[in-house]
Amino acid sequence: MKSIIRLIWFDLKQELHPPVWIVMEWVVFAVQLGIYGALMSRLVTQMDDYLQFYAIGYVIMITFDIGSHTGRQFVEHAHEGRLPYLLSLPIPRWKLYLSVALQGGFELALLLIVPLFVTLSIIGNLTALSVTSAVATLFWLGFGVSGLMLALSFIAFRSADVYTAIVTALSTLIIRFSTVFYPLMFLPSSYANVAIFSPLTYGSDLVRLLLGFDPSVLVDPRIAVAVLTALAVGTLGLGSFLLRG
Amino acid sequence: MVAIETKGLTKLYGKTKALKGLDFTLNEGEIMVLLGPNGSGKTTLLLILATVLKPTSGTANVMGFDVVKHPTQVRQILGIAFQEARGFWRHKPMEILRFHATVCGVPKSKREALMEQILKDLELWDARGKLFMHLSGGQAKRLEVAKLLVQRPRLAIFDEPSSQVDLRGKRIIWDHIRKLRDDGSTVLVATNEVREAEYLADRITILDQGQNVVCQTVQRLKDSIAGGDIVELEVEAPKDNNIIEELSKIEGTYRVVASNENQLRAYVSMAEAWVPKMTNLCYQKNTRVLSVRVTEPSLDDVFLHFTGRVLGATTN
Repeated sequence: MKSIIRLIWFDLKQELHPPVWIVMEWVVFAVQLGIYGALMSRLVTQMDDYLQFYAIGYVIMITFDIGSHTGRQFVEHAHEGRLPYLLSLPIPRWKLYLSVALQGGFELALLLIVPLFVTLSIIGNLTALSVTSAVATLFWLGFGVSGLMLALSFIAFRSADVYTAIVTALSTLIIRFSTVFYPLMFLPSSYANVAIFSPLTYGSDLVRLLLGFDPSVLVDPRIAVAVLTALAVGTLGLGSFLLRG
Repeated sequence: MVAIETKGLTKLYGKTKALKGLDFTLNEGEIMVLLGPNGSGKTTLLLILATVLKPTSGTANVMGFDVVKHPTQVRQILGIAFQEARGFWRHKPMEILRFHATVCGVPKSKREALMEQILKDLELWDARGKLFMHLSGGQAKRLEVAKLLVQRPRLAIFDEPSSQVDLRGKRIIWDHIRKLRDDGSTVLVATNEVREAEYLADRITILDQGQNVVCQTVQRLKDSIAGGDIVELEVEAPKDNNIIEELSKIEGTYRVVASNENQLRAYVSMAEAWVPKMTNLCYQKNTRVLSVRVTEPSLDDVFLHFTGRVLGATTN
């Protein structure tokens, strides 16, 4: 365990000296929520609490971005020569892989702490259990996205261009065709048919359910738990397998 | 004891064969230099031994551990200084070195003193607080080498350890590598620099196009070139007109030519054995030898002899 913490901290401490990019993400969140979110909530009349819906959606998007960032960072490390060095250290491969995923988790925690606090404050009237389970869902989703991007990152060892094209296309599809910013029931059927394949649909709806949103506009939570679990376990397992090879 | 043994080691990158059934052995406690041009497979071999790459076929054992079946045990035994010192752009040399030493299990009680000593020896002490991205190429390379000098692994692998380093720095690095061997480590060095190979090697393996061409001590490699040693003789005007013919009969003589009336040039194998026989013969023939100058073949000559190509050429 010590070696995993050491690996994570070695990189993470650099990102905190000074933590400019984290603070900037918080500022962007505040601006996005205060201006865009507030205006949109006036325009969306079919929902009473669109600002809350939007705030959670934005938190989910940050979670996705950090997961993607973890995968991209892995590719950059490979191209910069850092990966061969790490692979030559006396650390089992699975620990190395876990440390990459966990580092993504810690970065996620740092980035989310303020946006999540603000979002929960807007929603209000929450129990400790609902907040804890919502946070756990976010991390589970974050692991899943990290795993997906890490598994995809192995494409980059053959072609960085193909990797960039795939990740860009996938990110666009996963975010836009999902329930991150709009409920499934309001989507046109052609959109909805695609959105049910996006992991963000299940992540965002499960978090909303745990934070007390109306279940009738959300996807089935049992399916959401199953999809997120399959994503995290499947993609992290696949990435770990590819790294061993 | 054998430190490294590879049998039929092959590595393919797509259709390109980087290693072609390489058989290679390194004994414990020696410095083995892998000498070969760019593209000869040196770095690929080192990366397979360090478990960074997997071989396509064949086997490689490090201190008895198979690199594919027991990679973690292998990595606990060896350390590698890479050809390109890259990676931690926003870290400082002291932090990088401390991280490496800690992960590689250097005891805390020795760590700081050892790091200070090595950084001072490699003239990096003043740069210890700079960001890695602000180091010069030579400083970054010395830092890469410093990692292994602090780690002191049982098997130390250096990939072109003194490239980009100035002459003074090269000598410092080479002396440290030799000291590492003297302190009990086994050392494998890959280089295409003849001077580096000559200074460091207990034995040299010449790699060419992914194959082991020859493996010997430096002296034996040089001696293995028929007529590779050149002995220049200055003699008093020979009383025996057949002296050239007589000298040509000495065992190991390739040919003898007269540069002028008093000067002869003999192309021989193993000059150290040939010269005493020559002096005996001249004494018997009453021919006084005024001076003897022996020139050995260089490793460039050795490489040319075994591969038919010059060392600076790139393998395609």
